[in-house]
Amino acid sequence: MDTRHIDKPANRDPLFDALRAETNRLDTPRRVEADLLQAFARLHPPRRRRFHAPGLRGWLLAGGLSGLVAGALALTVALQAPRVEVAPQARAVVALDESAPFIALDSAERIAAEPAPRMVAADVPRTSLAALGVPLTPENAGESVRAELLVAADGQPLALRLSTIE
Amino acid sequence: MTTTTTTDTDLLRRMRSGAADAFAALYRRHQGPLYRFALLRCGSADTAADVVQETFMGLLTERFRFDPLRGQLQHFLFGVARNLILKHETASHRHQVLPGTDDEDEGDSPELAADDACPLARLLDNEAAEEVRRALALLAPHYRDAVILYEMHELSYAEIADICQVDIGTVRSRLSRGRAALAKRLAGWRTAASAA
Repeated sequence: MDTRHIDKPANRDPLFDALRAETNRLDTPRRVEADLLQAFARLHPPRRRRFHAPGLRGWLLAGGLSGLVAGALALTVALQAPRVEVAPQARAVVALDESAPFIALDSAERIAAEPAPRMVAADVPRTSLAALGVPLTPENAGESVRAELLVAADGQPLALRLSTIE
Repeated sequence: MTTTTTTDTDLLRRMRSGAADAFAALYRRHQGPLYRFALLRCGSADTAADVVQETFMGLLTERFRFDPLRGQLQHFLFGVARNLILKHETASHRHQVLPGTDDEDEGDSPELAADDACPLARLLDNEAAEEVRRALALLAPHYRDAVILYEMHELSYAEIADICQVDIGTVRSRLSRGRAALAKRLAGWRTAASAA
């Protein structure tokens, strides 16, 4: 390291030449470096690798979290599915016409959001069903069609299924 | 100088982030001058080794915090070592003062080196080294600091003033008085050596 500055004389006192030559060979005993490096190692322990294979504890934690997520998903799906409560008297009618499709009279969201729907059997005038594609002629215009209605708690019809079409 | 300072700073930064090789590099770079300073300053190899160890331990644990903006690391280490030696001396009450040094004239003694270039003086190098070391050891500690740092480590007055926490005028005065005391102490030996 060059530490020379302008206030230094060009030549040092030669009186010290011999002492400089003698002492320049001297260094700190080796044990000091060893002790210091040991102290350094104690103060700075080696860091763990950032990415490493998880142990048993890690796998258990990951499995538990996965199970929780799967359970939460299943619960969410179950809660979002429309719950249809069928009236006891209508259950037999529905059972008879399982293959017949329901015709939605309201939006799917409204039907899914209905907290307590119920099934009601009713005779519906053919004239009311003409818009749904039920055949209507002057001869049968006065007749009724047997139908099953999915009705909201407030009485609003949500869907309809024709059980018999003559 | 700038490059070395930057490198020291870089090594320090790496050392603080846990790089053992950076710490080892810093130690190997500075341990020699520091040990030689401590050895001449306190006159004991064991104490000098302890001082070097404690200095670097303080650097490692940040008990002694180095600020690169305030100078070079080597000067900082000299200052720490000097303070540790002073503390050690205070604790052990082992001050050794050459009697009458404060009463010496302040003149430098360049004339003492006038005949050093002769072949005989070169043959006596080892003996000369020991004589100078002994004379140095008998100087008052504050004179010894200035003489060792100036003559052995080639530091400037300003750098010595920074290390010893005194002003430049005080450094100049101490150096002059220390040299005069050394000249007086070594006068007899030099005469005998020249006669032989």
